[in-house]
Amino acid sequence: MRLFKALAGVALGVALFTSSPYAATPKDTLVVADAIDDVITLDPGEVSEVAGVLISQQIYQPLVTFDINDPTKIIPVLAKSWTVSDDGKTFTFKMNRDAKFASGNPVTAHDAEFSLQRPVLLNTRISFILTQFGFTKDNVKDKIKALDDDTLQFTVDQQYAPSFVLYVLSSYTGGIVDSKLVKEHDVNGDLGNAWLKQANSAGSGPYMLTKWEPKQSILLSRNPNFWQTAPGISKLFFQQMPESATERLALEKGDIDVANKLGPDDFAAIAGNKDINVLQGNDTTLYYFGLNLRNENLKNPKVVQAIKYLVDYQGMADTIGKGTMKVHQTMIPDGFLGGGIDYTPYKLDLDKAKSLLAESGVKLPFTLDTVVWNVPPYTEFAQAVQSTLAQAGINLNLEVVDGGQWLDKYRKHDLDVWMGLWGPDYPDPNSNVKTFTVNIPGDPDGTSDLADRFGWNSGPLSDQALAAVKEQDVEKRRQMYVDLEKAHADASPFVYMFQGTRKVATRANVKGLVLGFTYSDDRYGGVSKE
Amino acid sequence: MTSRALRIATGVGSWLVTVAITLVGLAALTFFIGRVIPIDPALKIVGDKATHEAYQKVFLELGLDQPLYVQFWRYIAGILRGDFGISFQTTRPVLQDLLTFFPATLELSTIGLVLGVVLGVPMGVASAYWHEKWPDHLIRVVSLVGYSVPVFWLSLVGLFVFYYKLGWVAGPGQLDVFYNGVVTRVTGFILVDSLLGGQTDVFWNAVGHMTLPAILLGYYSLAYIARMTRSVMLDELSREYILAARLKGASELRVVANHALRNAAIPLVTIIALSYGGLLEGSVLVETIFSWPGIGNYIYQSLFAADMNAVLGGTLLVGAVYVLINTLSDVLYRTLDPRSRGQRT
Repeated sequence: MRLFKALAGVALGVALFTSSPYAATPKDTLVVADAIDDVITLDPGEVSEVAGVLISQQIYQPLVTFDINDPTKIIPVLAKSWTVSDDGKTFTFKMNRDAKFASGNPVTAHDAEFSLQRPVLLNTRISFILTQFGFTKDNVKDKIKALDDDTLQFTVDQQYAPSFVLYVLSSYTGGIVDSKLVKEHDVNGDLGNAWLKQANSAGSGPYMLTKWEPKQSILLSRNPNFWQTAPGISKLFFQQMPESATERLALEKGDIDVANKLGPDDFAAIAGNKDINVLQGNDTTLYYFGLNLRNENLKNPKVVQAIKYLVDYQGMADTIGKGTMKVHQTMIPDGFLGGGIDYTPYKLDLDKAKSLLAESGVKLPFTLDTVVWNVPPYTEFAQAVQSTLAQAGINLNLEVVDGGQWLDKYRKHDLDVWMGLWGPDYPDPNSNVKTFTVNIPGDPDGTSDLADRFGWNSGPLSDQALAAVKEQDVEKRRQMYVDLEKAHADASPFVYMFQGTRKVATRANVKGLVLGFTYSDDRYGGVSKE
Repeated sequence: MTSRALRIATGVGSWLVTVAITLVGLAALTFFIGRVIPIDPALKIVGDKATHEAYQKVFLELGLDQPLYVQFWRYIAGILRGDFGISFQTTRPVLQDLLTFFPATLELSTIGLVLGVVLGVPMGVASAYWHEKWPDHLIRVVSLVGYSVPVFWLSLVGLFVFYYKLGWVAGPGQLDVFYNGVVTRVTGFILVDSLLGGQTDVFWNAVGHMTLPAILLGYYSLAYIARMTRSVMLDELSREYILAARLKGASELRVVANHALRNAAIPLVTIIALSYGGLLEGSVLVETIFSWPGIGNYIYQSLFAADMNAVLGGTLLVGAVYVLINTLSDVLYRTLDPRSRGQRT
């Protein structure tokens, strides 16, 4: 036992030397353990990684936001009020005069103008969220315009539902930057992009960027000039800690305050711990698989129907999801306008599937090719679906690949089956309904929308989806989406399986953390520690 | 004298040529493998929802429209100017990234290796000396465990026992959050920098964080070093010169330390050098579990993000480290083995 003695000796020696206790984070600091190695920018004009959006949202504020508990309620933030013209195309925002940036500069309509033009002018990877309103590099300076310090005019190309436009402006793309400050750091017409990327921030939100060590940590500090109620902590520290078991130990030990990357097993393990709170929230992520109708067998609607009866929805949610997801079979998540209708027509029914396959007349057995991302829960999902499909004579040929290849295949649409997730880009049902339903004529490679990507002609549903996004009456609009999603669940080649349910574990003394609709949308502004 | 100087110069010259060929070969191999793997770097940067124009812009910025040999030539020409390109993930020059992440690995690995050598060599010697007796069995079990149990499992169990249950060591990360960013960076080694700054509290905090991963890496290399020492020593102890020494009445200590171990030292140098090289690549698993900002994790994450400049830079660094360690072990070899002194490489 010489070795163990030696090891114990060294460990003991260290323990004696280092008398300071490791547990408990400083009271004015909130330590959030997370996987932040994917964050490459915090510039609100281009940020789109999950953790990047989360952090950017603590720094920048939009013109409007929505109530987490009731997303149909739109709440003013940097804009005080707004009106919509009679033709429904021009939105006029009055700015809130109380609002100011961390620099002390007041927030004006000129800042909003600059910030909303930026993604379009820079043609960043998230510009599509704004260009869907018909903005181009050439017209955006006329279409998004400050009339004076107080008034912003935002003119879209056709009449849309006002709630749709406002939801888009509430998203991370709508974050407003301090144009005076940013313009000072413009390099070769980059509109301050290089300056804002990683080293600096210029927002009006509760925190500002202090220090970023790429792939290691990101430190935010309380904005001393914050114009709303200041957070109860002075530092918000995001620590790279990708291993979920490590995160759990550190949380139980008190070395971190919030654990953002716990898995189903970790939640089971901390269930009885009085020092830890588990927050529950709504997640709008949908897990689904799409069937490519370019395949001869899948082209047959009876086969698509049969496959929908060959998934053990509840069993997978119980054994794989373990409380992190619930069965959900339509394209609009609960929590959105049109969501929460509990339409679940499908369950595992082998006899029904077999008779549908017999009616279809396709030759059994046949084989379908798919790729699966080599991380949980996708590998488990794919195996579960593979085993139930096999019972009816459909062989799923699985190829396990990494995330990059998986996305590559997704865009190329040459697979029979693709399994993945969909997270909405903005909290409006159109974000989902458009991509899963609308056929775009003349799309160069048929990959802009998922309906085209999977070779599905959605017929009248496509026009209905386009009509719904223009409907001015909220209740009517809701009903249109309910009808649409039911028809879609019945006919589309998309097999929706689950909606995520959000869980975040914190130390019991952490108060005021509000979970958003996605993990990126969590709000740390009201956090304090007891 | 002149002929000796000439010989040294030719030796160094041919060594440099070998090193250059090795590194260019390594760069070429990594570069072309990086271009044939089915990950699209431009897609990785813009994300799956970007417009065609946004994608095309990045595609051209990365120079991906050029023929492969042009891309490779541009890369090599950049390196000769000391420019390893920019990592799109960190948006910093790759060289700066390597200087940030490598010291963390170097520091941890060196401590791990010292532990492995200081404990592993005597254990291997003891094991060979008491061949097939209880110390041998015991040491073999210990090293077998270290060699065959997955290091991530040992890490998690180690964290659970020594950090979570007993509280003897600090948890994941290099420092407590409280100390983050308080050390002025001079060498990049946290232990050295904190002492240079006179911050003993930071120093001891860093020791607390480093202890467990260093011991684990030490144990891991110990297992290998002890096993190899044992087999080399067994071979030496059965030689005739050992019998001769014993017949001449040399003490057992003298027989083992002065005769057998001195001869065994020659292959051991290679074994230890290779272990060190292996540790310096950075253990992805250990670095992930301990949230250690090391080079292994850096290369691994970059690879999965198709951040090829970062992968190439990291690979070249690891390659250069191997070449350096090999050269050092060659030099040591010569001082230890009189027979090789007159030879040329």
